[in-house]
Amino acid sequence: MISFAPETILSLGFFPITNTILDILLVDLIIIGGIVYVYKNIALIPNNLFQNAIESIIEMFYGLTESIAQNVAAKIFPYFMSFFLFILLTNWSSLIPGVGTIGFREHDEFIPLFRGATSDLNLTLGLALVSAVATHTLSIKTIGIKEYLSRYFSFNPLNLFIGLLEIISEITKVISLSFRLFGNIFAGEVVIITVSSIFAFIFPLPFLLLEIVVGMVQALVFSMLTMVFMAILTTSHNQSH
Amino acid sequence: MDIIKNFGVNPVLLGAQIVNFLIIFFILKKFLYKPILELLRKRQTTIKEGLKQAEEAKVRLEKVIVEEKNILRQAQIQAKKIIEDTKQESIEITKNMTNDAKKLTEKMLGEAKNQIIRESMETEKRLALKVSKLAVSFLEKSLKNFFSGSQQEEVLKNVLKKIKKTA
Repeated sequence: MISFAPETILSLGFFPITNTILDILLVDLIIIGGIVYVYKNIALIPNNLFQNAIESIIEMFYGLTESIAQNVAAKIFPYFMSFFLFILLTNWSSLIPGVGTIGFREHDEFIPLFRGATSDLNLTLGLALVSAVATHTLSIKTIGIKEYLSRYFSFNPLNLFIGLLEIISEITKVISLSFRLFGNIFAGEVVIITVSSIFAFIFPLPFLLLEIVVGMVQALVFSMLTMVFMAILTTSHNQSH
Repeated sequence: MDIIKNFGVNPVLLGAQIVNFLIIFFILKKFLYKPILELLRKRQTTIKEGLKQAEEAKVRLEKVIVEEKNILRQAQIQAKKIIEDTKQESIEITKNMTNDAKKLTEKMLGEAKNQIIRESMETEKRLALKVSKLAVSFLEKSLKNFFSGSQQEEVLKNVLKKIKKTA
């Protein structure tokens, strides 16, 4: 039976090394390896397919950010792209053969060594908190503290009420972002485990393909929503009207 | 709180995931997006400059073509003029040369005529002298048989006088 909480493999003092932490370290290695490869081989005239692919992806996403956020695109883009890449690779990491299937038994229960990190609420909640904090910091930096506070606080009772609703909506944004990603990936893992336990060969293939799509869609949804929230909060009241 | 515990939310793990993501975010920003975006901008600038230069070169080429056409047209006009002038000059030169040649020929003909006249007069004189000598010798030989010495001299004097008169 798969649990919501990640399984602890070992503990370093108060710090538990869970199977999702191991998975995230694997994803980190993949990302850093890719960065090192691109950074070492970067050329004005690309001489490898990897640079071409990375350039096309970055150019496409930068264009998308520019079309939505216009003059703050340069500030928003790193967050948007990082969320997308990180979540995409984390989602897809759970589809690597061995992840979720190689492990050990403890108290008659199977503990996988690696588990898709986005099926751990600690990661999705952490990402949602980073997204929220980054959004508000960017908003203060762009429109100024006075205008930022005027969104939530006003002497006008109606606006004050709207501001209160805005504060609630900011909290729900974090909850919705984290639970949407967590729910989708966790559900996908449950489906794959269930299907694999029925018949492990060929039968799970369509579900694995579906998970590839779901993983990409969820990464895109999270990053796009973050970008849109950032674009909204970095636009002053005067501009938005 | 129980719900959060059931979902396995652990503040330590949450903090670790946040720190991990922030590290990855800064690495990505510094070593991937920044160089790639700079590279893309640089490439775009290079392409724009290249296009601009190509456009300038095209305009310059068009100008050069127009200039070339003008130069060719002017050269053709000049060549025509030169040919025309040369023709005119050659006609004049031919005319002058023909006149000179005519004059020279006439002069040469005149000189030749004079020389012929001079030579024929000299020849006539030489011929007359020879004929008179022959006539004198012939008379001397023929008079020897019929006249005495004084008579011979007289006849000869008369004959010489007559010959001189006719000459």
